[in-house]
Amino acid sequence: MRTAMRAMIRKDFRGIAGNHRLFSTLFIVPLVLTVLVPSVFQLVIHFMPEEAELSKFLDMLPISARLETPEATLSHMILNYVLPVFFLLIPIFSASIMAASAFVGEKERHTLETLLYCPLTLRQIFQAKVLASFLLSMLVSLISFLAMILTVETESLLLTRRLLLPSVSWLPVMLLLAPSLSLTAITLIVRGSARARSVEESQQAAVFLILPLLLLIVGQLTGILLLNVWILLGIGVVCAALGLFLLGRCAGRFTFERLLQY
Amino acid sequence: METVITRNLSKTYSGGTEALKDLSLSLKEGEVFGFLGPNGAGKTTTVRLLTGVLTPSGGSCQVMGIHPGDRPEKVHLLSGIMTEHAQMYDHMTGMENLMFYAAAFGLEKGEGQRRSESLLRELELTEERDRKLAAYSTGMRQRLSLARALLHRPRVLFLDEPTSGLDPENVQNVNRMIRDLALKEGITVFLCTHQLRYAQEVCTRFGLIDQGVLLASGTLEQLREEVFPSKCLHIRAAKVPEDAGLLPRGPGEYVAEIHETEDIPHLIRKIVEAGGEIYSVTLPRPSLEEIYFALTAGRKEAQVR
Ligand SMILES: Nc1ncnc2c1ncn2[C@@H]1O[C@H](COP(=O)(O)OP(=O)(O)OP(=O)(O)O)[C@@H](O)[C@H]1O
Ligand SMILES: [Mg+2]
Repeated sequence: MRTAMRAMIRKDFRGIAGNHRLFSTLFIVPLVLTVLVPSVFQLVIHFMPEEAELSKFLDMLPISARLETPEATLSHMILNYVLPVFFLLIPIFSASIMAASAFVGEKERHTLETLLYCPLTLRQIFQAKVLASFLLSMLVSLISFLAMILTVETESLLLTRRLLLPSVSWLPVMLLLAPSLSLTAITLIVRGSARARSVEESQQAAVFLILPLLLLIVGQLTGILLLNVWILLGIGVVCAALGLFLLGRCAGRFTFERLLQY
Repeated sequence: METVITRNLSKTYSGGTEALKDLSLSLKEGEVFGFLGPNGAGKTTTVRLLTGVLTPSGGSCQVMGIHPGDRPEKVHLLSGIMTEHAQMYDHMTGMENLMFYAAAFGLEKGEGQRRSESLLRELELTEERDRKLAAYSTGMRQRLSLARALLHRPRVLFLDEPTSGLDPENVQNVNRMIRDLALKEGITVFLCTHQLRYAQEVCTRFGLIDQGVLLASGTLEQLREEVFPSKCLHIRAAKVPEDAGLLPRGPGEYVAEIHETEDIPHLIRKIVEAGGEIYSVTLPRPSLEEIYFALTAGRKEAQVR
């Protein structure tokens, strides 16, 4: 039944690509976060007059975080402490959009019942849907990541004639945290989808996931939390375990009858 | 061979609605079974139970020897299901939709393409194949749904109101298709409808249901015997003798109540021998519609009492 599941995933991807409104939302927000925001930061840093207060702030940083020039130090901090947080938001955002359209959207358009009449177990249908949302959110994250690196490095090269070095914390963020948050968001949407009547209603569930992240961003920006790699790694493992656990439980509770309740 | 069996099948929804009570049926291969009943009778509920998307609250059912509640995916592989709630994707064309469902049913690409094209041709949708479903009329959607249900050559067809949005020509066309499928390929058809005339044309056997209770089932002839045990003979005649037992219904028109067809020659001989002149004798046979109304009316009366 691999063909059947592949066909379902392909159809969900095409559905998103064919829906211009959804498609642009899916890419505009991530690209604003990963292209526009870092560019503004870099321009501000470059053309900012050297101020005493700023150097005082930089003096507070641990030696290891300091580079030759204040400008390089700041750019480096933006790249390695501020931008990673966006890659926690982007997977949640894109996974929510895709999962809502894949589950609740089908229900809303009365196509879910047709899908249930296919010779697949409920578990297989569930897997195909989750996989489609997961793959798409990872794709959007990857594209955003590449766009960000390209922008940041090009600008850095043009403005200061040197490249910025991404830190190792990018690894746990991209390989552990982003995927597990994406899975968690999908699970929340899917759990809500049995009850939700419209796509909007189900997306509201994911907002709860974004709140703690907003706190994290504020924390990062004010310099309270300079998370180190090991802490990130730990959080990543916990999130991944939690995401998989929630997903497994959610799959077990699915029944045809609950899905078809309007 | 028996393809669809239900035994005391019952369903009470979580809200407390008793949608189906103790339904016992058994369908044979190649049979077109008309499942008739007014709105809310429990027809769609029965189809959903038989296709495994609802769990019975009592009794059991089988489709081709498989319990739909246990292995719904196996039942889906063997049956084509068309219900009003099972729609297709508006943003895709007719052909794209069929190709998607063909893949979902495990058909390989070439086979899916051949099957889709031939079904589109049979259902007169070839001109619409590359139009988006959003631009389809109700009847076109309905026919495309039928094509979808037939893609994987099912052994059992569950059709819930297959012709409710179709024009007369398309009704005839679909009718012919259903009859051919049953006759030539031995497909069992479970057809829910409240279009009685249409059902009378296409079905070989009927079940009448109201408020979740099966009122009667059998062939049209069996239903006639059961519901109208006595028959009315219509006679146009003149100079009819008083003692022949005819009831006048109009100038030169009479009715006579008989119990068996063997009574007819006796009655006619009696009239003729007494000097009567007979112009025509007809034995009108009650239609499915009349049987249906007699049954549902009988039920209402029983409730009032
Ligand atoms: N999901 C549901 N939850 C609760 N009650 C339901 C549900 N679906 C149907 N019912 C109730 O069950 C009864 C039978 O409904 P069903 O849909 O089987 O009727 P039907 O014979 O298909 O009618 P129609 O000819 O209008 O399609 C009705 O009283 C209906 O209100
Ligand atoms: Mg119905």
